[in-house]
Order: sequence, then C-alpha cells, then structure tokens
Amino acid sequence: MGAVTYPNEKVVEFIETHLVPIQVLFDSQPLATKFNIQWTPTVITLDEEGKEHHRTVGFLSPEEFIPSLMLGVAKCHFDREKFGEAITTFEEILKNYPKSEAAPEAVYMRGVALYKSTHNAERLKEIYKRLQSEYPSSEWAKRAQPYKLL
Amino acid sequence: MAKTIKWEKDFDRVLILARTENKMILLDFFNPL
Repeated sequence: MGAVTYPNEKVVEFIETHLVPIQVLFDSQPLATKFNIQWTPTVITLDEEGKEHHRTVGFLSPEEFIPSLMLGVAKCHFDREKFGEAITTFEEILKNYPKSEAAPEAVYMRGVALYKSTHNAERLKEIYKRLQSEYPSSEWAKRAQPYKLL
Repeated sequence: MAKTIKWEKDFDRVLILARTENKMILLDFFNPL
C-alpha cells in the first residue's frame, strides 16, 4: 500500500477531502487489541466517535481502494440512518467505479437504504434485478436472491 | 512536488479532528517489513 496505493494522486486527494488518516504499527497498543488486528495491511473506516463501520485486509490498488473507502464512508452514514447521504455515496461508487469490487455491494446497500427510507419493497426487488443484470456472478447477487420472490 | 498523505499518529487527536472537520477516520495498521 505504501509503495503503490498511498502515493497515488487520486488516493491522496480523496483521503484529504473526506477522511482524517492515521497510520499505526500493526502491534500498536491499545489499538491493535481494540480492533483485533491479525494481519496487515488492515484498513478500517471509523466515524468521529471511533466506531468501526468498514474494514479491508490485504493490498488494494488505487482503482479498488478509493471505492472501498467510499463504501466505508457510505456505511458510516447508513449505520447512523443518514440514508440520503449514504445513497448519494453509494451512487458515486456506481457512477465512477462501476467495475470495482465495491460496486456490487454498493448496489445492494443503496437498495437497502432506499427501502429503509421508503418502506417500499419494490426497492429490494430492484436490487435483485440490477445485480442479476450487471453483477450476476458477485457474492451480492447471491445475497439478493430472496428479493426475487417479493 | 507531489502531495502526500499527512498521516496522524495520535488517535485521540484524530477523534477531535474528525469531529471538528466533520470527516470519517481512516485507520491503517501497517507492517514496515
């Protein structure tokens, strides 16, 4: 990450705009124990209270890392029921990084956020349809299978 | 000169910065080897 991803101009810009970055050694205490760190790199997105919302383990290229960070930001909003902000960020992932590993999860979570803010089950069925259409081999397409029946 | 990430080192300071700047936190655990 230090050699390839963190020096990337777009990564620097995204982090500077949206996040407060902190880097610590894998065995730095008390954080390593608090966050149960078993392998590096481990990258965690936290809210301003220090609560975890998203983590990745292992190397990610800049093209995968930025949408992963966006997913983390969106999940911070989602977990705190700020569905409008979450939906906006999920949609930015789909617009700017549609081929990333984060994209199928963004489709799923965007649909769930829409459902939770409207209580319209059609939003869940749309998750299934879109994942079947655009990301049929993804793990998230499998997770959306039950929505086919709605 | 290329811009680089300005990594913080102090977790308590990061919490304060995140609150005042209304941002989320990126916590990176790394192994220098």
